[in-house]
Amino acid sequence: MPSQPANLLQGTLDLLILKALTLEELHGLGVSRRVEQITRGTFQVKPGSLFPALHRMSDAGWLVSSWGSSENNRRAKYYRLTPSGRRQLQSEVGQWKRIALAISIALEAT
Amino acid sequence: MSFLRNLFSRKSVEHDLDEEVRAYVALLTDEKIRAGMSPEDARRAARIEVGGIEVIKDEVRDLRSGAVVEAALQDVRHALRLLRRSPGFAGLAVLTIGLGIGANSAIFSVVNGVVRKPLAYPESDRLMFITSQFPNIGFDKFWISPPEYFEFAAHNRMFSTVAAYTTGAMNLSEGDRPERVNTAFVTASMFDVLGVPPARGQVFSPEQDRPGADPVVLLSHEIWQRAFGGDPAIVGKPVMVQGRSRTVVGVMPPGFDLHDARAQLWLPLGLDPNAQNRGSHNFYLVGRLAREATPAQANAEIETMLKQWREWVPQGHVPNDSTHRLQAAPLRVEVVGNVGRALWVLQGAVVLVLLIACANVANLLLARAESRHKEFAVRTALGAGRGRILRQFVAEGVVLSGLGALFGLGLAFWGLKVLLAANQDSIPRASEITLDPLVLLFTTGVAVTTGIVFGLAPLLHVGHQAVTIAIKEGGARTTAAIGRNRVRRGLVVAEIALAVMLVIGAGLLIRTFANLTSVDAGFDPRSRVTFGLNLPFASYPDSQRVVQVITQLARDLAQVPGVERASAMQGLPPLRRVNANTVAIEGYTPAQGDPPANIDYFQTVTSGYFETMNIPITDGRGFEAGDAIGGPVVIVNEALVKRFYKGESPIGRRINPFLAGQNTPLFTIVGVTRDVKQGGLDAPAGTELYFNFEQLPRIVGFAPLQMNFVLQASPRLDALIPQVRRAVAAIDPALPIIQLRTMEDVIGDSLVRQRFLSQLLAVFAGVALLLAAIGTYGILSYMVTERNREIGIRLALGAGNRQVVRLVLRQGISLALAGIAVGVAGALVLSRITESLLYGVTPSDPLTFGTVAGVITLVAVAACVVPTRRAMRVDPLTAIRAD
Repeated sequence: MPSQPANLLQGTLDLLILKALTLEELHGLGVSRRVEQITRGTFQVKPGSLFPALHRMSDAGWLVSSWGSSENNRRAKYYRLTPSGRRQLQSEVGQWKRIALAISIALEAT
Repeated sequence: MSFLRNLFSRKSVEHDLDEEVRAYVALLTDEKIRAGMSPEDARRAARIEVGGIEVIKDEVRDLRSGAVVEAALQDVRHALRLLRRSPGFAGLAVLTIGLGIGANSAIFSVVNGVVRKPLAYPESDRLMFITSQFPNIGFDKFWISPPEYFEFAAHNRMFSTVAAYTTGAMNLSEGDRPERVNTAFVTASMFDVLGVPPARGQVFSPEQDRPGADPVVLLSHEIWQRAFGGDPAIVGKPVMVQGRSRTVVGVMPPGFDLHDARAQLWLPLGLDPNAQNRGSHNFYLVGRLAREATPAQANAEIETMLKQWREWVPQGHVPNDSTHRLQAAPLRVEVVGNVGRALWVLQGAVVLVLLIACANVANLLLARAESRHKEFAVRTALGAGRGRILRQFVAEGVVLSGLGALFGLGLAFWGLKVLLAANQDSIPRASEITLDPLVLLFTTGVAVTTGIVFGLAPLLHVGHQAVTIAIKEGGARTTAAIGRNRVRRGLVVAEIALAVMLVIGAGLLIRTFANLTSVDAGFDPRSRVTFGLNLPFASYPDSQRVVQVITQLARDLAQVPGVERASAMQGLPPLRRVNANTVAIEGYTPAQGDPPANIDYFQTVTSGYFETMNIPITDGRGFEAGDAIGGPVVIVNEALVKRFYKGESPIGRRINPFLAGQNTPLFTIVGVTRDVKQGGLDAPAGTELYFNFEQLPRIVGFAPLQMNFVLQASPRLDALIPQVRRAVAAIDPALPIIQLRTMEDVIGDSLVRQRFLSQLLAVFAGVALLLAAIGTYGILSYMVTERNREIGIRLALGAGNRQVVRLVLRQGISLALAGIAVGVAGALVLSRITESLLYGVTPSDPLTFGTVAGVITLVAVAACVVPTRRAMRVDPLTAIRAD
């Protein structure tokens, strides 16, 4: 784990959460851990930003949640992508790629 | 919709969120235990990592759709819950704001309806009221004669149209009971001047307004509805007015009136343009300014006309620029009259009440914020943002003032109704007064502003830096409290000062009213009952018959059990219009340029009149039965003797009243009476000449047809009513009885405007006094609580009850004295405004000022009683140990 986790870029949190949920449904802590994992520890999502984001995305209809039990039999709320969430992920990924490309071009320019 | 779901299933959503966050913590703890931590450490570490659970929940809540509405609702709910928990505070605050807002809305409605709104005519700003002035004899707004009207209308250029009118009352015989209705005689041009078309039919044509034209009448909407059942085919039908049949030509729209005449019938004046009755000053004029003309230009033109008038009329008495002037003033100013000033005084008074109420509620909220110091500190520490706390303050303020405004509006609605019902005749344009949207807007504005101001007031105390201090301090407030105290003491001093000003104003007007009620009207109003009777000329053309009917009725009424005497008079004191009659007095020649001798009031009475009214004869004799067949005699009042006979006895001297023009014989003065107030209790009595009713027809060929009976009777009024009705009906069942009431009521009614003003001001002053007392009480009891410890130490060190009492009283009285000093200074400045409303008392009346200062001090002392008792009960041990 790097000593200084990077701050999440504005707008990337949604993208990361959507991405984290593509494989399987996860509870809140699971989402945090999955994001850490897929970013190789670069990003840590604190509950203070995680929960507002999860609820906002549920309101937008990208996620649905249901209560289930965790691996060690704890009651926990699980989040799952909806079809509209998958579409959102695709569009955000496309957008991100454009941005990333634009920024690397900009940085390589002399 | 998630918005609605969130709003309506708020509770379950809340619960869900709570559980979710807790689950997160539990999972995190598990994870840490698996990583090798002890369960205790794991739990602790997890909690620290998650941070404030409440903060997270709050942020989620803020994000949710509908969050703004929900947060507002939540704040309101929270505020309501808090207020319900302290009903005393909430009740006091709502009552205080309600009183302030209610009084303001009610009075603002009146001011708005009476003073601010334009009159209900098209382009009413162009309407001017034209009157004459006789500076030498002190008539300021006098009437204008027919030739003067025609000459004015012909020669002026600043007015597009000019009309003349006079108002009165007549008998309308319609339906089962005859009734007395208000009439306005107008020239046909009046409807052009006012610019209001009839709702049905036509207004008068110029032909119908000629002398000798067929009699016609226009109905008001109100009388058309009430007496004629809104008959849609009324136009063209005949109606009986004052014993004469008139054809209805039209109906005026609802609310149409002129100068508060409450006219129910409109009749054509039928003036003769060729008549030379130059002295018959009987009409007021209303003119509509031509386009582009201003009131100032109109008056400048009148000034020029006054200089030229003699050129148009070579003979006789004409208006001129010294002794017989004309003037024009905006009709609105004339209609509103001096009520405008009284209303603005009232408006000022209620604004003071509102200010006091605001100060009081601010004080209440400050004291409350004080006791909630800790609550806010804890909430801040728990992560409530500054904005969140601010929002809650504002919510509380808005909820308080909203409830207060609601209560106040109810109060205003009810108060306005009572006010108008009780003062129908003393408020001009009363029918135009409603709680209208402007008033509602004003009230809402006041409510919202006070809400926000009150809401923010406690923020003076709660800053972020204060949080730690507050928690550390706990309840033991010490030095920090001093600064806050200064604000609150300042508020209380301001409250007392405002109350002092208001109470002084009310005191002056109450003294005015008391002075007026104790004025000797010149007759004895006790156990006296009066009513009016009007004999229509059409049914009573013979004046001898008029005398027979009236004297017969007086005799019949005197036979009613309990009635000692019954007489009749033409004019009912104490509030008559001046009739200013030109007379010739033997041995009196007016000074050069003065008009001929003039007597303010002519009065015609039956023989027993002076006994029935208990008016003393101070010289000579009263009228006797023999005068009916004797020579022409008159009785004069003392004011007349002073004016024309320089105080010498006038008995035997003669006067020509020109009652029958140049053929009038000389009347011999046989007696002098004490002065009777005729021009209002607050005005000098005026000169008066009494004629004998029984002898008039024989001497001058006519008798007054409108007479007022007065009975000296012991029974109560309602016991007399059927008897009087029976007696009148026995003489002529077609005669309506006009205003049967006690003489004391007549006097009371003549003071209705002064009573209205002083009563209202007294109520407002009472409210102000109460609010100031509550404010003083509040700050003192707060002081006692705050200095609990100090008092405890003093008691422990051997201070007695007296020292403790002195401690509290000194605080209370120093506040009161400071308030009184400021208030008295303010009142001295402000009372100049009320000067013209006062009678028999100066604006800086020392008695009023002294009494008020005393009363306020007493109220302040009374406000000290409970806090003092509480201070005396302080237990030194608990006080010192506490905190």
